[in-house]
Amino acid sequence: MAESVASQSPSLSEQYHLEKEVKQDTSAKPVEVAPEVTATQAEEVTTDKASEESPAEEAVGEKSESPPASEEAPKEAPAAAVEDNVDETPAAVEESNEEVVEETPDEIKLETAPADFRFPTTNQTRHCFTRYIEYHRCVAAKGDEAPECDKFAKFYRSLCPGEWVDKWNEQRENGTFPGPL
Amino acid sequence: MIVLKWLFLTISPCDAAEPWQLGSQDAATPIMQGIIDLHHDIFFFLILILVFVLWILVRALWHFHYKENAIPQRIVHGTTIEILRTIFPSLISMFIAIPSFALLYSMDEVVVDPAITIKAIGHQWYWTYEYSDYNSSDEQSLTFDSYMIPEEDLELGQSRLLEVDNRVVVPAKTHLRIIVTSADVPHSWAVPSSGVKCDAVPGRLNQISILVQREGVYYGQCSEICGTNHAFTPIVVEAVPRKDYGSRVSNQLIPQTGEA
Repeated sequence: MAESVASQSPSLSEQYHLEKEVKQDTSAKPVEVAPEVTATQAEEVTTDKASEESPAEEAVGEKSESPPASEEAPKEAPAAAVEDNVDETPAAVEESNEEVVEETPDEIKLETAPADFRFPTTNQTRHCFTRYIEYHRCVAAKGDEAPECDKFAKFYRSLCPGEWVDKWNEQRENGTFPGPL
Repeated sequence: MIVLKWLFLTISPCDAAEPWQLGSQDAATPIMQGIIDLHHDIFFFLILILVFVLWILVRALWHFHYKENAIPQRIVHGTTIEILRTIFPSLISMFIAIPSFALLYSMDEVVVDPAITIKAIGHQWYWTYEYSDYNSSDEQSLTFDSYMIPEEDLELGQSRLLEVDNRVVVPAKTHLRIIVTSADVPHSWAVPSSGVKCDAVPGRLNQISILVQREGVYYGQCSEICGTNHAFTPIVVEAVPRKDYGSRVSNQLIPQTGEA
């Protein structure tokens, strides 16, 4: 316990730096992450940031547990990062779920779509709709498995009722979706 | 006996409606604390005005009784009193308006990024809750319906018309985003201890941000006439420590991901 308390204070300041660097989705997360994990994350994210600009990579990195991430981070950085992402994405997601079961069943990441200042009011209908469109435009532009689109998928899943997503998916299949895709 | 009961009530926080309750329920969020404080602030001016008006009224009745003083003074103009009765009411309304607006706008404010999003979807006549922050596909989602427990199934100590079968479990001391919407007719998602009352309108997502400050079980009811069973659509929020929330959610998620 004493360790974690000790390492808490530097990790907080790091987290503050992160917020400035990574605009969107990290600000809410570091609060509940264990301090050690935050530290490794911070390193990882900064190295990743230096090598390439994909916010989805952080998401993947954060999902997987800290020890493998910190080991992999230095290897990954010089390597062709995009390739790594593509074959890592599904594996990492599965891994993280398993690891949650094995080691610490109580450590689930509390993270969600961040506050978006295009939608500062109580009415968030268009926030959900916009995120849904952003995801599908991203997929249309970057290809189906593009890891940088994953965050938009997370956002719209967090914000939109499942029923709406089902309806829109159906409409897209039928070609009757009303939004600009 | 009643005194004992009152003593007991002041000790244990009251998060559900009480018989013969006069005040608000105990605050669980800063918003509710703000509402209660504003109520007390305004009550100060209310009592001030009440006493003053009653005093003037009684004095006028006393001094201008038709037997005592049949012909009242015929004053039609007085600069001093006109200035006073303009300035003082405007000052009072300013003192009421400033904290009121401050609270009103702070309730809408999204100051920080929330840690979790919960969707509350109103139905005739139950609430559906979705926790989909942890989804990796469109289908898989932690979704459940929350129905009222009928009167005959209640256990001893449970509140009639307030208990539900599945409570909304939220982490305490965490910023929550609750997205309220409806699937059929307008409903309203209200939890008095949290200071929350948010209309659920079909086709629209309303967002409220709350921060539950203490662990507990908070009761609320649907607050928009939504049909026959409107009175039987309660809401129960259970705030648990953050790590318990994490383990609970992951325990509920893992069987699902295992199947998928």
